[in-house]
Amino acid sequence: MSVMGFLRPTMVTEVPDDHFVVVHPLDDVPEQKVDTSTLGPMPMTASVKISLMALRGYLLLMMLLVLYHVMDLAGAFGRHIH
Amino acid sequence: MSDEVLTVSTAGNEATLPGVRGRVVRTKWMHSLLTFLAVLGPGLIVMVADNDAGAVSTYVQSGAQYGTRLLWLLLLLLPCTYFIQEMVVRLGIATGKGHAAMIYQRFGSWWGLFSLVDLQLVNFLTLVTEFAAISLALSHMNIAPKVGVPLAALGLVIMVLTGSYRRWERVTVLLCLLDLSWIYVALKLKPSMGLLAHDTFVPGIPAGGLTGNLMFLVIAIVGTTIAPWQLFFQQSCIADKRLRYADVKWARLDTFLGACITISVAACMMIAGNAARIHGINFLDPAQMANDLHTVTGEMIRSLILLLMINAAVLGSTAISLSSSWAYGEVRGWPHSLEMPVRKAKGFYLTYVACVVAAAALVLIPGAPLQLIILGVQVLAGIMLPSAIIFLQLLLNDKQVLGDQYVNRTWNNWVNWTIIVLLFGLSLILAAQVVAPNLFPAG
Repeated sequence: MSVMGFLRPTMVTEVPDDHFVVVHPLDDVPEQKVDTSTLGPMPMTASVKISLMALRGYLLLMMLLVLYHVMDLAGAFGRHIH
Repeated sequence: MSDEVLTVSTAGNEATLPGVRGRVVRTKWMHSLLTFLAVLGPGLIVMVADNDAGAVSTYVQSGAQYGTRLLWLLLLLLPCTYFIQEMVVRLGIATGKGHAAMIYQRFGSWWGLFSLVDLQLVNFLTLVTEFAAISLALSHMNIAPKVGVPLAALGLVIMVLTGSYRRWERVTVLLCLLDLSWIYVALKLKPSMGLLAHDTFVPGIPAGGLTGNLMFLVIAIVGTTIAPWQLFFQQSCIADKRLRYADVKWARLDTFLGACITISVAACMMIAGNAARIHGINFLDPAQMANDLHTVTGEMIRSLILLLMINAAVLGSTAISLSSSWAYGEVRGWPHSLEMPVRKAKGFYLTYVACVVAAAALVLIPGAPLQLIILGVQVLAGIMLPSAIIFLQLLLNDKQVLGDQYVNRTWNNWVNWTIIVLLFGLSLILAAQVVAPNLFPAG
């Protein structure tokens, strides 16, 4: 039997004792996962909230820096970098 | 199918069932091997696709400038990249949802929108660099980019439009395995094994000291080895493949194998750059390096490097475009699975096709600001990465989502916070270099 033939799944209805069944995840019954849609926002301590606010400020500042740098490179401020 | 089927697939024996597609095997090791092969994919693909066109350029430049002296950095990045992606494995398997959806649900719309917009922007710019590399390599192979680039885009679109996750995964895994040819290239270049071992296991700063150029290259290497799109891609890929709780250990092995391959291949790229340096070859891009190296290595290695450049770009393109379309689909609530036919997931496939076609078209526009785009990719990715990993870290400490079994352990948190602090440090240095280009001595 070829390797591909060996790997190709067939319909399994009976499994003898001391044998094992390999089922591809896409052929298996979908598992029950954690239902995150009902959880809502993550509960956070005050320090985590403050840290995230600081992160937000840092990211906005960095984005403005990048914008400035890109405009500078593009010659928007009157000089070009070759 | 009943719950019994699930029991058999995970526990492995002892039942009579009402029909399930699978393979019956006699031995435990064969069961383990085949289960691993069934799970193999998301980890390998995310890691190998990370060695995309930009990475090839970064690693060969590193080799050309500093020889193999930065190999120790790659060794250091191996556990970093593994630990970060391993967290994604747990999160993806536990929730069955993508990363973008999780950020929206747990951190609110501001962070959700920020992450999504930043991801789409960085991904698109990266995609442009992938097609730029394809165009470059094709022109060195005497194939007109006006013909070759649209054909590459068409191939990328066909890869996903089959309505079968497995078909896409098999093709992509095959491309990943082709990437191993870099090892052959490196061996043909006959590097000194003693020097390689020394530079891998003995950290040190290259001759010339800590220059601005070295800092930029270090940041580029870190940024190209650990990229934000990887988090989104692997989690969505795991969700699409419907990996089960029992698959966690195999998904970890898949990720670890991918990490080892990507770091080994990156080292081979550095060795190729080093060979060019040894032979006094100056180059601006890997395609030119391949061209000029052929006097030393012969025509076959030249063609192989050019083909591997295209392969890297194609792998990067399909993974990055999918991470965009999965993320967009999750947030918009559209059907978003490679298992669905086009008619049932139009928005998902349309996003993928739009990304690929727009990036390919942009590359074909004469005078497009490609250098500016490459710089933008590096800087934006550098900014986004630490914040993306912070969210990942917070989500992995979320017991409501992961329960006691999959939530981060204390040692996980120590490792991850160390990585986050290092990445933030590099991100700050990058920002400082943008503001003050003469911060470090020129070199």
